[in-house]
Amino acid sequence: MLRFYVWLYVAFLYAPIAIITLFSFHSSPSLTFPFEGVSLRWYAKIFSDTTFLNSLWNSLIVGASTAAITTVLGSLTALGLARLKGRIQTVFGLLAFGPVALPGLFLGIALVMLFSQIGLQRSLVTVTIAHVLFTLPFFIEAVRSRIEYFDLSLEEAARDLGATPLQSFRLVTLPIIGPTIGGAAILSFALSFDEFIITVFVSGNDTTLPLTIWSMMRRAVSPDINAASVISLGLSIGMILIGGLLVWYQRRLALGARAKDIET
Amino acid sequence: MMKISRHERMGLALVAPSFLFLLVFFIVPAILLFVCSFWMAQAFRLIPAFTLDNYARALSSTGFYFLTWNALKNGLCTAILTVALSFPAAYFIVYRTRGNLLFYLILVSWFSSYLVRIYAWRVILGSNGLINTTLMQLGLISEPIEVLLFSPFATILTLTHIMLPFGLLLLVSALRDVKKEYVEAARDLGASNAEVLTRVILPMCYKGVVGAFMFTFVISAGDFVTPQLLGGRDGMTTGILIANQFRTAGNWPFGAAMAFLMLVAFLIVYVAFVRLLDLLRLAPGRRFHD
Repeated sequence: MLRFYVWLYVAFLYAPIAIITLFSFHSSPSLTFPFEGVSLRWYAKIFSDTTFLNSLWNSLIVGASTAAITTVLGSLTALGLARLKGRIQTVFGLLAFGPVALPGLFLGIALVMLFSQIGLQRSLVTVTIAHVLFTLPFFIEAVRSRIEYFDLSLEEAARDLGATPLQSFRLVTLPIIGPTIGGAAILSFALSFDEFIITVFVSGNDTTLPLTIWSMMRRAVSPDINAASVISLGLSIGMILIGGLLVWYQRRLALGARAKDIET
Repeated sequence: MMKISRHERMGLALVAPSFLFLLVFFIVPAILLFVCSFWMAQAFRLIPAFTLDNYARALSSTGFYFLTWNALKNGLCTAILTVALSFPAAYFIVYRTRGNLLFYLILVSWFSSYLVRIYAWRVILGSNGLINTTLMQLGLISEPIEVLLFSPFATILTLTHIMLPFGLLLLVSALRDVKKEYVEAARDLGASNAEVLTRVILPMCYKGVVGAFMFTFVISAGDFVTPQLLGGRDGMTTGILIANQFRTAGNWPFGAAMAFLMLVAFLIVYVAFVRLLDLLRLAPGRRFHD
């Protein structure tokens, strides 16, 4: 009974996406049944739209930059949090989570306020800053539990055996938490790629993909939005799946190597 | 003086960069926004002053209360639906399956972009949309059901659909925090599944459920895109007003004041909610030590 409910739940979650995907291949502009035939015309149309292509490129650039910056900041933070105890750890943990607890609206207007006061023009740079702010809590949360699990005494053992701090980090810590960090980096990329609400406020003349889709939506319900949407969600979901597979595969390799070492 | 071990000093040094980042880009803007709410705006220029006019203007307009009430309604309905619908799924995932496949399947749907989901529902719910045309083709109705779109129904349905995976994530982590030993002990003492659920699991994940509820509430109450695209004329929320001030109308201090008033409203809802749970004897109190 419960199992049936859960599958209904999953179906409800995916149904609208499935419908949009279906109609993005529709040969006619109609968005209702009967289904008249398969065609790629809407994809051809959207790929010849320079605004779309530019914003897609911008989203990729912002996503990559966000992922890079968040990975550096977030990894340092997660490693640091594991070493702090008690109240400082809790306070900082709460602070780091702040940007997610508030609706994007508040973050957006606060950042707009800041940028105008310090005279920073709205551009892809401001968008990247906003995205780092938004993805950082997710990154830290994703990496933190893995790091807490990680036994600091392994690092101490390496130090006892004569390794420098840098060496012990490179040869002991990094291989163990590496896959998690890689996965979290891809998570940041995907979150930044989809981010819309804060971006609405802090973007300047260069738009990102969600913003383009939004302006298309506001004009009219037209079938090429379907194609644009499917491309957008295809990329996001694709990224997450690839990231997940990479993490899973690397973990399997690491576990396999360890098992072999124990056997010999 | 407190002795800070070398370990902790290293920790502080490591968190310093992101602390600085959060300070500059999160805390300072928030303070700036608060200060700005006491300023004035004239012809798109900000004038630093100290006036309560913005707050007074918001609090004395009936429209503001109406819009805020809409926002709170969106938030409450979405939060209730999300938590109620996701809890059984979370229970199933934590207690009835092994491995994370189903969990990841649901989480992946979260990455189908926010806007795409709004667009999808707009296509499905419209009077020329999928539901209406299919029902008419099947002969079940003779005229399209207008209220499906541009109504609170559409807004709440879409917001719930958007928040479900996130709610599930929070609930699953809340349920995973419940110590298995208590559950096993209860089973050993002969409790039925329902009894285990109501007397062991629910009290122990209470904080997590309240957290999931509040998170969903805050994000959906503050959402202004969904009501704008799907809510119709009567579905406007304060969020739309605030967004307009910062994007087109240009009266930032007024927008800032409204934003902080919204935060106060959220706080009131939180306190009232916890108090309500307390009154209904649903809060676990000090019944167990953890």
